Amino acid sequence: MTESPLRIVPNRPTFPDPVADFEDDDILQLDESAERPSQNDAEAMAELRRLLLEPEHIQLGNILERLNNPRVRAREMSRPLPEAIRLRNAQDDALTDALAPTIVTAFHNSIKKDPRPVAEAISPLMGPAIRRAIAIALSSFVQTIDQALKHSLSWQGFKWRFEALKTGKSFAEVVMYHTLLYRSEQVFLIHKQTGLLLHHVATDPTITADPDIVSGMLTAMQVAIGNFARDSFGSSDEQIHTLDLGDREVWFESGAHAVLAVVIRGEAPETLRGDYFAPALEAIHVEQREAFETFSGDASAFEGTRPRLEECLQSQYQGRSEPADYKIPAYVWLLLAAIIIGLGAWGFFAWRDARRWNNYLNRLKSESGIVVAETGKESGQWFITGLRDPLAADPVAILKNETPINPASVVSRWEPYAALDGQFVLARARNLLEPPQSVDLKFADGVLSAAGLASHYWIDEARRLARALPGVSKFDDRNLIDEDLKEPEALRQQIEQQVIRFSRGGVQLAPGQGESLKALAADIQKLAMLVPAAGRAFRIELIGHTDTEGDDTANLNLSRQRADKILSLLSSKQLPANSLTAVGVGSMQPVRSETSETDKEFNRSVSFKVSLLDPRQTKSQMRP
Amino acid sequence: MLQKKICLLGAFAVGKTSLVSRFVKSIYSDQYLTTVGVKVDKKTVTLGDQEINLIVWDLAGEDEFQKVRMDYLRGAAGYLLVADGTRLATLETARILRQRVTESIGDIPFVLIVNKNDLSLEWEIDDPAIADCQSSGCVVVKASAKTGEGVEEAFKLLTEKILEQ
Repeated sequence: MTESPLRIVPNRPTFPDPVADFEDDDILQLDESAERPSQNDAEAMAELRRLLLEPEHIQLGNILERLNNPRVRAREMSRPLPEAIRLRNAQDDALTDALAPTIVTAFHNSIKKDPRPVAEAISPLMGPAIRRAIAIALSSFVQTIDQALKHSLSWQGFKWRFEALKTGKSFAEVVMYHTLLYRSEQVFLIHKQTGLLLHHVATDPTITADPDIVSGMLTAMQVAIGNFARDSFGSSDEQIHTLDLGDREVWFESGAHAVLAVVIRGEAPETLRGDYFAPALEAIHVEQREAFETFSGDASAFEGTRPRLEECLQSQYQGRSEPADYKIPAYVWLLLAAIIIGLGAWGFFAWRDARRWNNYLNRLKSESGIVVAETGKESGQWFITGLRDPLAADPVAILKNETPINPASVVSRWEPYAALDGQFVLARARNLLEPPQSVDLKFADGVLSAAGLASHYWIDEARRLARALPGVSKFDDRNLIDEDLKEPEALRQQIEQQVIRFSRGGVQLAPGQGESLKALAADIQKLAMLVPAAGRAFRIELIGHTDTEGDDTANLNLSRQRADKILSLLSSKQLPANSLTAVGVGSMQPVRSETSETDKEFNRSVSFKVSLLDPRQTKSQMRP
Repeated sequence: MLQKKICLLGAFAVGKTSLVSRFVKSIYSDQYLTTVGVKVDKKTVTLGDQEINLIVWDLAGEDEFQKVRMDYLRGAAGYLLVADGTRLATLETARILRQRVTESIGDIPFVLIVNKNDLSLEWEIDDPAIADCQSSGCVVVKASAKTGEGVEEAFKLLTEKILEQ
């Protein structure tokens, strides 16, 4: 707090301290001895002033101390403050208005800082109110269910159900209509003087009639009927206790400041007045005394009367005791237990089915060649759609054999597609090519490899078809052995081992070589027959040789003549002359190294070089 | 929300009920007036940022056979007095009613509504008569049940006067 700008400063006392004055006087006495008489006057004057004014001086000092010392001031102010507040509040609301923002801010700050003190302070009030509200709501709910259940399966229940159908009311409403003894549906707390509504509670929150207007009209009716009673019967009692409206009654309970109007459906016992309504109204009068005295139209002060009014919401059904004594019957508990067990069982089976279904889906997802696109449950049936390679495992078979799911409860729709995984490409290749057992097929990195023994026809087919297989970019047949080439190959080797010998220096066959030539011709004829079946052609080179004796040029000519001789002999045996060529190599490529005379005999000869030609290779080689 | 009880008073057939019917929330039919003698409606008036609920007690009109019962006015914070501009006698009834209200429940705020302003050519209540009323402390509003003119204003004026109290 800042100091007040108007600070009162004590004047120096005009009457000097006797000792101080005496010292001053001594100095004056030395310097100005001539002024002694007047000095004495002043002293006397000061003394006189001190004697006369000292008590006031002390009092003035005390007052100044109280005014200038904030602590003392606060202590002083605290004494009349409560009384001052009381007086001001009695006068008008200015102090309340001035303090309200400070108190609101302080309250907010306090809650922001630590909400516990406030929570602790109001919890004794809130707890019971909340408990009571929940208890009333629960009790009313259980009672309605109980009534509906009790009558839903009986003969009477069917009759009421038909009635509900006929009248367009809900079944619960019809049951309530027939079983309800009474129920207080609405309670109005009405200001007696003005007829204004102070508070209102109702069992049915959907009541549409504006309670403010109803409150006014109830008061007006009271006045009107009071007037009527007075005019007609001279009755001085203006109070109405009950308004009978057929299936409903309005009960009035009047107090000094307020009237309680309770709308009751059915026949309520008169004891309700003494047991509930009158005590509630009395309690409200006690609790809201101040609010009644200051009431000027603002009903918000009567919010706190809700629990009292709710106590007046009473009801009783046929064969039922008071709501307070109401106990939930055993069959309701049994039914609830059955519902809970039923729900639990349903939940368990639903969970188990879902788990099985997920396992099945995971199993399918782990299977190559199966792509699951969409799954779910529709009208109690599982459904699954997706793509499946025809070579992949059958999802329906998996469902049947590997899961406990009932296949009838699953709708499957699989569209075929070609999977490009290695195993599927290989399986498709096997299906399509049907390789003989002697052939081993492999697939890796887009290359289909075949190895082993196969017929020429199969090899040809495989070459043609492999290129059309999805996922195959190349067919590797290097390790395939053509079965049909086996015999020609043997013949080739047999022919190439043959050497037709000649007499020395001439082109006469050596003795005994005629037979060999005949056998050779037979072999060649056989080869010519076999080779086309293997898709091949053949060419035989007849190579004429000489021994190392003599001139090379002559030897070369001689060797050529020998080769030509054999060529002409073979041609005469109707062998395909265009497959035979004759060359002479003289002594340059001897059949045997010449170390003996026998070797020389063998070098005077014609040897054979057989080529089995692949027409495709021949063609491709001929291409530019 | 602040609530105030107000009453609607006037001579028979001055058009009280039709004057306010468009401006109030009503759950009861006009039959209540002839049977019970009173009908309660609600009117919400906004003054600045404050909303006030007026609980309007529409009382059966007064004529030579039937007098307005003053006990309906108990607890009222103010009242609307309605006269018919085309019938001078209704102004006199209004004056008498005012006097009776003052006698029975004291001097509470009121606003005098002169109805049927849409028939101003047929008016018997002339400006000097209205000026007379005003000089005696009346707040006078000319209104029309047909056009709705002046009704809101009358409610507002009365509410302001009530809150000034």
